[in-house]
Amino acid sequence: MQTKIHLDEEEMPRRWYNIQADLPSPLDPPLNPKTGAPATPGDLSSIFPAELIRQEMTTERFVDIPEEVVDILRLWRPSPLFRARRLEEYLKTPARIYYKYEGTSPAGSHKPNTAVPQAYYNRQEGIERLATETGAGQWGSALAFATAHFEMDCTVYMVRASYEQKPYRKMMMQVWGAQCHPSPTTLTASGRAVLEKDPDTSGSLGIAISEAVEDAATHANTNYALGSVLNHVCLHQTVIGLEAREQLASVDEYPDVVIACVGGGSNFGGIAFPFAGDKLTGKHPDVEIVGVEPAACPTLTKGLYAYDYGDVAGLTPMMKMFTLGHDFVPPAIHAGGLRYHGDSPIVSRLVKDGTARAVAVYQNDVFEAAQTFARTEGIIPAPEAAHAIRTAIDVALECRRTGEAKTILFNNTGHGHFDLASYEAYYAGTLPDYDYPEELIRAALARLPKVG
Amino acid sequence: MSDLRKIGFVVNPVAGMGGSVGLKGTDGLVDRARELGARPAATVRAAAALRQLAGRPLRFVTAGGEMGEAALDAAGIAGYDCAYRPTLPTAAPDTRAACRAFLERGVDLLLFCGGDGTARDVADAVGRAVPVLGIPAGVKMYSSVFAVDPGAIGAVLPADGPLRCTDAEVIDVDEGAYRENELRTVLHAVVRTPTAPGLVQSTKQVCEEADEDRARTAIGAFIADAMLPGVLYILGPGTTTGAVARHLGLEKTLLGFDAVLDGRLVGADLNESTILALLETADEARLVLSVIGAQGFVLGRGTQVCTPEVLRRIGPGRLLFLGTPGKLARTPLLHVDTGDPLLDGAFGPYLQVVTGYGTAQRKRLGTRPGAAQAPDRRR
Repeated sequence: MQTKIHLDEEEMPRRWYNIQADLPSPLDPPLNPKTGAPATPGDLSSIFPAELIRQEMTTERFVDIPEEVVDILRLWRPSPLFRARRLEEYLKTPARIYYKYEGTSPAGSHKPNTAVPQAYYNRQEGIERLATETGAGQWGSALAFATAHFEMDCTVYMVRASYEQKPYRKMMMQVWGAQCHPSPTTLTASGRAVLEKDPDTSGSLGIAISEAVEDAATHANTNYALGSVLNHVCLHQTVIGLEAREQLASVDEYPDVVIACVGGGSNFGGIAFPFAGDKLTGKHPDVEIVGVEPAACPTLTKGLYAYDYGDVAGLTPMMKMFTLGHDFVPPAIHAGGLRYHGDSPIVSRLVKDGTARAVAVYQNDVFEAAQTFARTEGIIPAPEAAHAIRTAIDVALECRRTGEAKTILFNNTGHGHFDLASYEAYYAGTLPDYDYPEELIRAALARLPKVG
Repeated sequence: MSDLRKIGFVVNPVAGMGGSVGLKGTDGLVDRARELGARPAATVRAAAALRQLAGRPLRFVTAGGEMGEAALDAAGIAGYDCAYRPTLPTAAPDTRAACRAFLERGVDLLLFCGGDGTARDVADAVGRAVPVLGIPAGVKMYSSVFAVDPGAIGAVLPADGPLRCTDAEVIDVDEGAYRENELRTVLHAVVRTPTAPGLVQSTKQVCEEADEDRARTAIGAFIADAMLPGVLYILGPGTTTGAVARHLGLEKTLLGFDAVLDGRLVGADLNESTILALLETADEARLVLSVIGAQGFVLGRGTQVCTPEVLRRIGPGRLLFLGTPGKLARTPLLHVDTGDPLLDGAFGPYLQVVTGYGTAQRKRLGTRPGAAQAPDRRR
């Protein structure tokens, strides 16, 4: 019985897949935060290199992966695809469950897939330092790893709740030579503004993004790097789905359901876009694509589809996306990587158009699924990844009821070795099931003056 | 937040006696309990708690005999000051008189041993003047002022440094009804009680949950911001609903039900009939309730106000529940007991409780206090 399905290094994708080429109509453009006019490449050039701005806007179907980038990706790619037979047997499901495991990267998650090319393009254009934010610490450690390969400096603003929950993530960043600060800091004007209003804030991705963007915009040798949301980030992550499609084809499979957790949308886009492309182009019109988000931060299931800022301070371009409002500070769930008020504009568009759908799950149900997975398949998943596992299990259990033998593919984005404190809280019975008071929030928002 | 130096200590010697012989409480039934063979156990429990404080640089002020001295002697604590001598047999007025005497001696904390009835007497005498902490020895302990067990007293009271406090509800349970298996709980008072952050370590990691007052203020601001024009809001008792009124600049009764419409107070200290009359005039209403007491009541029957009639008129879907994260962390299950099982069922297995500005938690509903929980899948 084959358990791992491997590709050779030579079979690694050499081109990223750009789903913008296959959308039925172009994305709504990002807007300049000050003028409200469509953002131009010039608006972004103070924080991003030209090649990434080009990739952000391009509608070419494929973008070549530079050889220097491929060389570093070889350290862990192609990543394995597993058949989760033990989980299937435990669930007594007729479904076949496959998962792509991105925890084999040096940083332990899918994040280096884009950290490496982002560092590369910045270095090519003479940038000496990258500033970024990190939620759970996955992205910060990935960028620290990537910049080390290009002899660049790296400054990471880490959401304070995670900084305190996951001290070892910041040690990792230090090992790779990066500086990590708990955000909000007093180093930036945006950080100081938040601290003045609320000195005890747990921070949020939106606040940390403001800090990193400000750092980049105010230092000539420094650019900003974002670990999710943006089109070029999702583009770089498509190696996951491209590999998975090849791996499944090698055992004569194609998924009926593709599942991934959604925070900013990059791991979801990474595994799902190649399959969503097949759906949009009519090759596989029936493939079902499901994004899983925390009930505490239900952007796709309860947010509004509207233009909003990507950060708290309103420094980023406004993007058309599902959003809970850029000033929404999500509760401090342990899946810190999913604490984001907005979502990738492409992912938002796919959900808006019905190409993909979204579900929201509660924290304790997520950890229950994580435990089941760890006890059957062995890998202790990150809480973010466990959101996808929860839904994969739910679909498999539904198959048991209906007798359908669906092929399920989900993305296991990383291991949870730095998240064991959250497992401890789960076993202690002290994990709150955070919820989102939708009606009250809408009522509260309706009273606010309309801005912009 | 002053350092803890002088402790007022009082025992209700007959607390818990009714429970051991199936009387569900001891109010007015001490003799009957004795006849049934009940023996006073409060002194033993109090001494177990005091032993953890022996050796600390604390001074005790207490009452004579079984009301305090006996437990201090049993714990090996000497050099206390006896500020009150009861006439036997002791009764509720003795507890209140002893507490007042302790206050005159300038105690920093009032430590008592008893149940909900004792907590009520202590709260009546002390109010919010000094923090109150209970050593559990009663039959019913629905109030939030009790340590989880006598052995936890040492951990709840810091050996050095300032005493950190939070608000805690003292609950009045109607014993007559309780014996008929009917739980009538009324918020009797809100006192201050020491908190033990070390005992709830998992929630401590999340810094947003650190400060109850801050959370209450955030909840108050959120609910106030979310109030719709033309909708009647009935605010239940407690400090969290009080924060809503405070944000609106309104004076709310702490223990009563008050009504707010378009930012104005339109009724205070309401009862069932005045609420029903107000509901006649409003097209739409919301009932705003806080999680009360140590057992997580959001709706206990017999509050004289939240009758099934009132709840049906408002609609079970139009209730808003509030609770600070700290409170919810200490409360594994919530309880609804409207007196109408059909109505209880309308709330489903979970309640959404607002915990901050724009944040909430989903909490499981238990059927009755003390009822078996759903099997824990975390094993």
